[in-house]
Amino acid sequence: MSTIEIEDKSVEDAVAAACKQLQLPREQLEIEILSKGSSGIFGIVGAKKAKIRVTSKVLPVEAAAQQAKEILSEILRHINLPSVVEYEIENQHVVLNIISNGSGLLIGKRGKTLNALQFLVSKILSKEVGETVPVIVDTENYRIKRQESLTELAQQLSEKVRKSHRPLTTGPMNSQDRRIIHLALQEDQEVRTKSKGEGNLRRVVIYPVRRSKKAPNRNTE
Amino acid sequence: MLKELVDFMARALVDNPDKVRVSEVGGEQTSVIELRVAKEDLGKVIGKQGRTARAMRTILSAASTKIRKRAVLEIIE
Repeated sequence: MSTIEIEDKSVEDAVAAACKQLQLPREQLEIEILSKGSSGIFGIVGAKKAKIRVTSKVLPVEAAAQQAKEILSEILRHINLPSVVEYEIENQHVVLNIISNGSGLLIGKRGKTLNALQFLVSKILSKEVGETVPVIVDTENYRIKRQESLTELAQQLSEKVRKSHRPLTTGPMNSQDRRIIHLALQEDQEVRTKSKGEGNLRRVVIYPVRRSKKAPNRNTE
Repeated sequence: MLKELVDFMARALVDNPDKVRVSEVGGEQTSVIELRVAKEDLGKVIGKQGRTARAMRTILSAASTKIRKRAVLEIIE
């Protein structure tokens, strides 16, 4: 975690400067006063500056994001693909966006390459900062497009389940994709969703919810 | 280039980066990248259910596709 030392005219000024530099409110800083400073005689003779040592109590997401960006840029540099990485912070999540030639090389089949980059950057970053930091890696708006197509898939499956009154299963999906399916059908009163299977083969099963019109199912919840 | 990629990823993941050794056994089409790490770091480059190793292999194959080659990552115990 980052620690900085700041000198200023007074302790108050130094604290204000620290808040500004770390972009954190005062409550999230641990402040140690190294020297109170004095204004000396008439503020000229023997004036001493105040010195404080500041440690942020929370992990500065900003710093983590910067670090994540560097890790990803370094990997991409080795892939030898001209690209620029920009970062954003969205509800305490680090979001990295790769701007490249748009060949899809970095996405891979169903986002395989993008997910691998995301996993690795997150893992390296967590090791460097000493705590788990979720990182999202995106390029060419792939994440939002994927979300749209999965939501559409979820709706189609739900439609079929409602008509046939039989459960249907999606293909194997990672946790992010499964989450999108669950969320897409969360409001749907006629079906319910559940994840099944182990490890990489985990999938989402969509079950019909029996209405009271028909004979109630043995295991209705 | 592929070698440097694996080297960078492995060093960033392990506790003993100075013990990371990467060598490339090259062919015309396919090259094998051999990765050696300290014994206690083996788990770090393999990961839970081989997830880290798989991620590295995926990134390696993207990089090799770029230069129209095939590369295989071997983690050597």
